[in-house]
Amino acid sequence: MIPEIGHFALLIALVFACCQSVLPLIGAQKNNADLTALAKPLVYANFALLTLAMICLAWAFYFNDFSVTYVAMNSNTQLPWYYRLSALWGAHEGSLLLWVWILSLWTTAVAIFSRSLDDVDIARVLAVMGMIAVGFIAFVVFTSNPFERTFPNFPVDGRDLNPLLQDFGLIIHPPMLYMGYVGFSVVFAFAVAALISGKLDATWARWSRPWTLSAWGFLTMGITLGSWWAYYELGWGGWWFWDPVENASFMPWLAGTALIHSLSVTEKRGAFKSWTVLLAISAFSLSLLGTFLVRSGILVSVHAFASDPTRGLFILIYLLIVIGGALTLYAMRASTVVSTHRYKLFSREVLLFINNVLLVVALVVVLLGTLLPLVHKELGLGSISIGAPFFNQISSIWFIPFSIVLGIAPLIRWKQDKLSRHNKTLFTGLVLTLLLSLTFYLPLALDSALTMSGIVLASWIICLTLLEVIKNKSVKKLSLSHWGMVFGHLGFAVLIIGIAVTQFSTVEKNLRMKPGESVNIQGYDFTFESIDFVKGPNYSAYMGEFEVVKGNSQVHLHAEKRYYNVQSNVMTEAGIDAGLWRDLYVALGESLDDGSWGVRLYVKPFVRWIWLGGILMVVAAAFCLADPRYRSILAAKLTTSKAG
Amino acid sequence: MLNLYRFLIMASFFWLLPLQAVEQTYAFDDVNKQAIFDELTQELRCPKCQNQNIADSNAMVAIDLKNKTYELVQKGESKQDVIDFMVARYGQFVHYDPPVNAVTIWLWIIPVILLFVLVFIMFKRNKETTTRVSDDYLKQAEEVLNQLDSDSAKKDKEA
Amino acid sequence: MKNLRLFIPIGVFLLTAVFLYKGLFSDPTNIENANLERPFPEFKLPDLMDPSISYSKQDVMGDMTLVNVWGTWCVTCRVELPFMTRLRQQGVRIVGVYYDNAAEAAFGNLDVSQTQQEVKEMLAQLGNPFQFNIYDVKRDLSLDLGVTGAPESFLVNEKGIILAHRRGAIDERIWQKEFAPIINGAK
Repeated sequence: MIPEIGHFALLIALVFACCQSVLPLIGAQKNNADLTALAKPLVYANFALLTLAMICLAWAFYFNDFSVTYVAMNSNTQLPWYYRLSALWGAHEGSLLLWVWILSLWTTAVAIFSRSLDDVDIARVLAVMGMIAVGFIAFVVFTSNPFERTFPNFPVDGRDLNPLLQDFGLIIHPPMLYMGYVGFSVVFAFAVAALISGKLDATWARWSRPWTLSAWGFLTMGITLGSWWAYYELGWGGWWFWDPVENASFMPWLAGTALIHSLSVTEKRGAFKSWTVLLAISAFSLSLLGTFLVRSGILVSVHAFASDPTRGLFILIYLLIVIGGALTLYAMRASTVVSTHRYKLFSREVLLFINNVLLVVALVVVLLGTLLPLVHKELGLGSISIGAPFFNQISSIWFIPFSIVLGIAPLIRWKQDKLSRHNKTLFTGLVLTLLLSLTFYLPLALDSALTMSGIVLASWIICLTLLEVIKNKSVKKLSLSHWGMVFGHLGFAVLIIGIAVTQFSTVEKNLRMKPGESVNIQGYDFTFESIDFVKGPNYSAYMGEFEVVKGNSQVHLHAEKRYYNVQSNVMTEAGIDAGLWRDLYVALGESLDDGSWGVRLYVKPFVRWIWLGGILMVVAAAFCLADPRYRSILAAKLTTSKAG
Repeated sequence: MLNLYRFLIMASFFWLLPLQAVEQTYAFDDVNKQAIFDELTQELRCPKCQNQNIADSNAMVAIDLKNKTYELVQKGESKQDVIDFMVARYGQFVHYDPPVNAVTIWLWIIPVILLFVLVFIMFKRNKETTTRVSDDYLKQAEEVLNQLDSDSAKKDKEA
Repeated sequence: MKNLRLFIPIGVFLLTAVFLYKGLFSDPTNIENANLERPFPEFKLPDLMDPSISYSKQDVMGDMTLVNVWGTWCVTCRVELPFMTRLRQQGVRIVGVYYDNAAEAAFGNLDVSQTQQEVKEMLAQLGNPFQFNIYDVKRDLSLDLGVTGAPESFLVNEKGIILAHRRGAIDERIWQKEFAPIINGAK
């Protein structure tokens, strides 16, 4: 009965979403206040219905209702309760339901926090978000219904959740990522609504900024978590694979990063309006493209997902309507947008634009690298692979201009500036950069030119960012969003250091070891102490115990090779000792005949800095959002709502 | 390989370097060869798996390719030789670095063109704005903007 | 002219969509074998059942031959054995290349006599399509052929050129579509 309630709630939500996408828009065009007033109640009702649907599915998972196909395929009675609940978004149908629910969550947030906006304007925004919702709810209902039953015969037990996903990372990574993906729908809706009404002014930019920042913050968090999860769960110590699924999340991130910066110019200076609108449309379009790439299975990915051409076709048609529609609207309307702002060649506007262009170039490289194998094959030229060697080569060149400009831009004045005004600061910055680089270089004895250039560029960003803070007359008076910028840029520098050092200074050993044997890597004595066979709740495992000694300190590592009975999958659980300066990483390979084991040992310096950089960027987004400027907007809302 | 193994056995027999007694799965006596091997296993793609290089994959064919790579590198073949060997048998798909041809060249051309076009457009538009809008009008606009800025600054303070 | 520029994004998007649409109907894991239309590689390998017999490239040439890479451990091979046997009865010359399970073979201690026993039992049960079986001891031949797993089949003409390739099992439909026309054309 309960799954039927969920299904029914989903169906009503579809009807409501249809109303939400049409009625307020008509009201806005015809100045019918009754129709525009319908927008918010419809949004709230939709949210309630979709929440109900989520609860119903969660209920089916929690109480092991295997008559529901989706539950039977992705859960099992032996599965611990928390994984039973997170299994809700462990596969296609449920993750789409989560997508739709998060969309309604964002829509509700827009409805609540936009009270000071004109009713007509907000009605348009909510209507656009309604259109997005219609497509996705229809997709869930017609092609991927998670509530489908297998009556009359249903299995006694389920086929279990993919063991890769039985992990803490899976509980939080997809919701975070989706919060980011779907969050860009808000800016998208603001942009489309502004194109419809023709009101592309500073207000539009001011309203779009906090939503962009929060979506971007969630996406950064999601990607960081995903990278961290791949690092400890996949068992070969990598943190980024340039896999299509990862690229699919990276592209909206790049567009979002460009958008944040471009919005600040549009809001403060009224420049780049048309460009900003295009970025706002692109960020969400790329999120949708990512969803399509992941769900249609048209690219080979290490993160295996079930694929189905009819589902792919459905999303493709949806993409054509949503993205195609928005871009057509852009092509028709954007010419009416005039940026009246004037600036000189050397000004913050220009530097921000150059970084924007570089971000978009990076985005295009990733897009081409992801899709070109498909094009190549469809043109009848055979299969090719575009992977790490290509992307690493391009990005090592790309980092150079990007980092140099990133360091300088915050120092430069709006409108017009002279380079000579900054001679002293830049010189100090250069000296400090060299000193900071040396402090990295000497203790690490780096021998790779690429690592060194990464370190120098990151040092450049760090030094200039800090100099910019100090140069301000009163550091205490700096706004929170200024601090946000500082943290964001420092986060980026920390990320580069992490990448540069880990990438080229990791020591990896593939060994055959018997219990009792030791090996020395980089001054660390790794001892394979013992191996035991144990039973977990839904798996059996070999547990390898390792001891690592260096000088007086010693740590204990615990690596596992798990066998999941239901899906007969073998999983590697790496043993990791995390540290700010280095990670020690042990993964158990195959059992060999003479009683020895294939063992992978890594010493990975600075690998934590990669995720530390990501976290700093999330903190940066939080700081910007906490800025009183946005709170004052919120306060204005509350007073008007009280008055009303 | 055998020689090294014998050496290791002898070494452990004489209680020399007992820590080194552990055998590497793919042992090299030459650091350069080791480096070539490491690069190759990172850049060659397992032809059967979803999307993994042969260093990370445990699929049969990946192990075979790894063994073959090891054999060829031990024989002293260069990195390009091994790549050519693998591509001749498994096609371009097996190498993560795409060949440069009429289609893949756009991987480099499009980004560069885009870079120049966007910068060009920006300069052009800036000039257009400069010539089209009269100075008086701009001055007014600036005043409005400054007003807005100081307003929001005031609001910040109040908040 | 200025407005035309604004249509570039939608143009790029539509072009992408065309390829995405085409991509929906092609399997990304279906990668063309690099050896098509090339000569069969040289090799010198023993017979699976009788190691004293040795085969070379000449033994797969001379007549239109279907070379089938297989192993007793492989489930799909089991499925295609009966159909292959029927092909043999229809007069198709089929030669087996025995592909060991690499996980065990990687460390070089497979028991050949046990494999022979398994092969005997399996062929007695499901039918024997093979003229003879080449034992690809270290899977070098398979590697030269660009084999990624079992089963895989190659159609080789009398001059030793590979004309067709199939990754995965062959059944009636695939045989009629991809292999039979080539054989009929050659006749």
